Amino acid sequence: MRIFRFVIRRLLQLIPVLLGVVLLAFLLVRVLPGDPVRSILGPNATEEDAAAARARFGLDRSLWQQFLDYLGGLLTGDFGTSIQSGSSVGSEMALRVGPTLELVVISVTIALVVATTLGIWSAKRANRVGDHSVRMFALAGNSVPEFWLGLVLVLVGYSILGWFPAPNGRVDPDTNLTPLTGADLVDAVLTANGPAIASATAYLVLPVLTLVVGVVAPLLRSVRASALEVLHSESYAAAKAHGLRDRTLHRGYLLRATLVRLPSLAALVFGTAIGSTVLVEYVYSWQGFGQWALRGLLYRDYPVVQASVLLIALCYVLVFLIADVVHAILDPRVRL
Amino acid sequence: MAESRTAASGDTAAAPVVVAGGDRESRFARRMIIVGATILALVALVAVFAPLLSPWGETEIDPANTLVAPGGDHLLGTDGNGMDIWSRVLHAARLDLGIALAAVALAVVVGTLLGLVAGYVGGWLDDVLMRVVDIFQSFPTFILALAVAALLGNGTVNLIITIAAVNAPAYARLVRAEVRSLRELPFVDAAITSGASPVGVLWRHLLPNSLTPVRVIAPLNCGWAMLTLAGLSFLGLGVSIPEAEWGAMISLGAADVVGGRWWTSVPPGLALFVCVLGFSLLGEGLQDRANAKRR
Amino acid sequence: MLSIENLSVAIRRPGRQVAALSDVSFAVRPGEVVGLVGESGGGKSMVARAVVGLLPGGSHATGRVLVEGADVLRMDDAALAAHRGRGAAICFQNPRGALSPTRTIGRQLVDRLTTHQEMSGDRAREAARELFEAVGIRSAQRRLDAYAHELSGGMAQRVMISLATGCAPGLLIADEPTTGLDVTLTREILRQFRHAADTDERAVLLISHDLASIAEVCDRVVVLYAGTVVESGPAAQVLREPAHPYTRALLRSVPDVGGRPVVATPGTMPLLTRAPENCPFVARCAHADDTCASRRPPTEPLAGTGDWSLACFHPQTRPLDAGTPPTPATPVGGAAVAGPVPQRAVLEIEDAHVVYRSRFGSGGHHALRGVTLRLGPGETLGVVGESGCGKSTLAKLVMGLVAPTSGTVSVAGQALVKQPGRPRPRGRALRRARTRAQLVFQDPIGSLSPRRTVGDSIAEPLRAAGLSAAERDARVAAVLDRMELDRAILRRYPHELSGGQAQRIGIARALVGEPDLIVFDEPTSALDVTVQAQILDVIADVAADADRASVFISHDLATVRGFADRVVVLYLGRVVEEGPVDVVFDTPRHPYTRALLGSAPRLGATAGSEGAGVELVKDLEEADAAAGCPLAARCPFVTDRCRSERQELQSYGESRAACWRVPELPALIGRQAVTP
Repeated sequence: MRIFRFVIRRLLQLIPVLLGVVLLAFLLVRVLPGDPVRSILGPNATEEDAAAARARFGLDRSLWQQFLDYLGGLLTGDFGTSIQSGSSVGSEMALRVGPTLELVVISVTIALVVATTLGIWSAKRANRVGDHSVRMFALAGNSVPEFWLGLVLVLVGYSILGWFPAPNGRVDPDTNLTPLTGADLVDAVLTANGPAIASATAYLVLPVLTLVVGVVAPLLRSVRASALEVLHSESYAAAKAHGLRDRTLHRGYLLRATLVRLPSLAALVFGTAIGSTVLVEYVYSWQGFGQWALRGLLYRDYPVVQASVLLIALCYVLVFLIADVVHAILDPRVRL
Repeated sequence: MAESRTAASGDTAAAPVVVAGGDRESRFARRMIIVGATILALVALVAVFAPLLSPWGETEIDPANTLVAPGGDHLLGTDGNGMDIWSRVLHAARLDLGIALAAVALAVVVGTLLGLVAGYVGGWLDDVLMRVVDIFQSFPTFILALAVAALLGNGTVNLIITIAAVNAPAYARLVRAEVRSLRELPFVDAAITSGASPVGVLWRHLLPNSLTPVRVIAPLNCGWAMLTLAGLSFLGLGVSIPEAEWGAMISLGAADVVGGRWWTSVPPGLALFVCVLGFSLLGEGLQDRANAKRR
Repeated sequence: MLSIENLSVAIRRPGRQVAALSDVSFAVRPGEVVGLVGESGGGKSMVARAVVGLLPGGSHATGRVLVEGADVLRMDDAALAAHRGRGAAICFQNPRGALSPTRTIGRQLVDRLTTHQEMSGDRAREAARELFEAVGIRSAQRRLDAYAHELSGGMAQRVMISLATGCAPGLLIADEPTTGLDVTLTREILRQFRHAADTDERAVLLISHDLASIAEVCDRVVVLYAGTVVESGPAAQVLREPAHPYTRALLRSVPDVGGRPVVATPGTMPLLTRAPENCPFVARCAHADDTCASRRPPTEPLAGTGDWSLACFHPQTRPLDAGTPPTPATPVGGAAVAGPVPQRAVLEIEDAHVVYRSRFGSGGHHALRGVTLRLGPGETLGVVGESGCGKSTLAKLVMGLVAPTSGTVSVAGQALVKQPGRPRPRGRALRRARTRAQLVFQDPIGSLSPRRTVGDSIAEPLRAAGLSAAERDARVAAVLDRMELDRAILRRYPHELSGGQAQRIGIARALVGEPDLIVFDEPTSALDVTVQAQILDVIADVAADADRASVFISHDLATVRGFADRVVVLYLGRVVEEGPVDVVFDTPRHPYTRALLGSAPRLGATAGSEGAGVELVKDLEEADAAAGCPLAARCPFVTDRCRSERQELQSYGESRAACWRVPELPALIGRQAVTP
């Protein structure tokens, strides 16, 4: 009940933050150097053509009015029209979010599981060979540029071994997958399309692997550090000195105390993963949200940039909200 | 507390029972610091002496030999423009290392000053500064870097500012938290009651002590700054060809990978990886040492 | 039960070697409470760790630690696991830290019960409730579901005891179980250990730095010095007529509420790198001769006694107090005791309130509730009270580190902090004014800036006064001489100092600007006993300066008695009693003062001095200040009038107390004693 109230309160607090983000994004794209209209019209367009195009996108009106229009649109779920493609930003975005979310959620989930098991395992063997190897692996993961790792995986997995499909999409078009959510694996499962499941999975392996390596490293370091801190803590020493069994120690005194710090970290890592997808999608031509937003930014497509910024911020704060709730459940010291 | 015990050596009461442990952790930390520092020193040397070490110029084109495989005239082959990969990988160390170090230095200075003032003065100033930091930190850092880079445009100075701007809030928050906890310690009260001026307290007592965590974070952050720079360049928002920069080189070679032509993108990536690893090792080692001291 | 034979532990790490224990031998029998006493660095905790097989990394141990005949040092992992808890269980020093923060305390106890007593879950939960009740936890059923952070210090220690006893160990070890607890609680907690030995025939090893406070519940005591046993014997006898010079030094260093003067022993405990070949105490011993310096004294039984043994060539036989005149002690302070109010007040506090506003929501913590004080030059005021009574807030208020919510404070006639309706100096003038009052801190090392040299720290007040570098150096040198410190220390950093050195530096810094007022905020509570005595000596000397006023704040009544002229007893932010120090200590009026004095440990105490007899009914942390008398929730003599009516200080003889029942109290106390 208290958690419920906390969530409501936090959601209400979100409104001003998101308003601020909307305003910021709106102003940001307008101070970006470059003119979106010129970029779609090409070099031969006359001044009249440009003026007409501006009027079409409402760019001839005062900033203030443009902002109010935009806000009004948002309230009715209208994110505006893309200057580049001329189609609705809302529907374009809906198409793009699914694949990216699929990629990020699968990667972060795998990373969380790997990081907790390996991190605690490593901490329990602190300063032995196994622990040192895990730490080196984490350091390497922390240091490798994921876009390059993606390329190397393509080189090995596709060009040399030929085990995985080329980095040119998310599912084999021959499988005739009916898009429902945009997340291809989910769609394939929902429509019980066997070949599509296989194809989507095959396409997912390399990008997920790329993201996991980048994301698991910081998590692993923190879980290990946190577990070590618990192992060195007075309370753990006391439980050990009182001769509790290893299983009791592990479950009752190590696990929960270690995981207490994980949620906020996982949220942070989720953010990192969103950032990384921009790069990873580029490498694998994933045609997801990241690539879409990047193109919007490069071509100064105002509505697209605004919508992406808003969505990323919303996503981020929601993930942090979830993290806080999970933290409160895990840690009795936290009061909501 | 070490848990590993060597088996009791014999039953005679005279033989000592030895509990192992104690120094292994510090040995590993020291090793990490040494290896990391060595890597970085090598990279720095390469950056300084790049022109002497490379057979070709940074942007020199060999039009007869585009996309040739490693061997012959070109140790690591050439890219699609006919530029020598080996020479460019060496030259890129200059830009990558330079921008990363400059950006982190700028971020540390700006962030520390903001954090010091916010933490010590408190009140509305603290509130305003921290809200700004909040807004900065409500986006994934790489996304933020993309946006700022798009806003400022290309160019070395702009990239430094971009990366510094994305990092400074974290330092501000770190130093502020440190100052706020230091303020509660008796030595600050002692300075105040000894008649030290606020600036004196800030400068002579709080600043030197609040830099401890910064010193540990900064090396790790340098590695991250390098990755960000390369990522931006990879997407076309950072350094652009023909200047030599690892990320931009990887970007140029990305299309070749599908065809199995690895030499255009693998070597610059490897160089970047090793350099960042140097920073990571150094940072991790320093962190270990700091933790050991705290225990 | 426990028998330690020739235990030596050396810790070897790169660049460091410490002989933590050298040939330690003693035994603890079932049903017996043995006190293991000594200063920090003496090796007490190392003994405890050896007994549960948790020696630190790099340890080299020889000798035997036999628990029920099995040698702990040579147990394999399985045997060790069985031994820990079941064979010997420790109560840790910092109970709140030793309880897992993410598991309910009930679960933690049940874990122990199911592991060691093979109970089923339901049975264990029931047993856990009973154990909680046994150690004095009220509403035990509800507390089972509490977490560690919800407990007060005293409660956490009770839980810790229940956890240790829940393992059903043959041997119970308590490592400094009462550190950080108030005097009124200390006795209660110590009694729990006596109880554990008496009812369950357990062997109890009680580790403490304070011989006097644990002696009451111990059958025998073992005194450690620099990793060696210097004396062991029956507690009462060792306490009354300690034979080893170190034991005597230890006891004489502890101030006593009775007013027996403190005798300081110079020097500090050596940190040995190898087992000593002579008497480790030789450098500090008044009786030492060439034999002591060349040979290590063997441990031998004292002539004519059963199990009293010591390692000394020159056993002392006189009772401890022989030769020193009995009370009353003369206060060292220069001014006459509580004379007429001096003309020039150095410190004036007028009805000061301090409320710490909580950042969120209304209310806040009321730390001081109307304190009025006045102090003239040459006077020394003692301030006593338990934790949370507002002592430290009072220090900060005087120093201008917190502002009064209402009321006024001035030092040498000036306001150091913003006060309702009063001007205060600003800028340089304020900085100068601040140096008129100086504070000596509880945490000596923490009060020195970690990255500045000692010389820098001492000269800080002079910098504010705008003195030239040469003048500063001269003044610093002078004050160093007075503190008997070597010049070389000026270039050192705080972490290189010992606690005693750091506190001397702290006093030097306070003294260097020749302030009008020095406030000592618990200056010795973080120090070892013999070092504490040395620092008290220094403070007594400083407080005797005739042109300066001193405020000495302490939770330890005995230290105050040593040199204060007047004393103020604080309780929950109010002054409950004040008066000349001997009057207040010899004839306490307020029930709270009586309770405090009654629970203070005394050497060779015969219970039943005038202060005894009042026992407060709850722990401080559980009581909240009511509208009327702050003590109402804990006072055994409470009436409705106490609860509703605010108590003002009234004169009773030479002292004043804030309690209307003072005249009736002697009779009431008599009745309470009859019908408990």
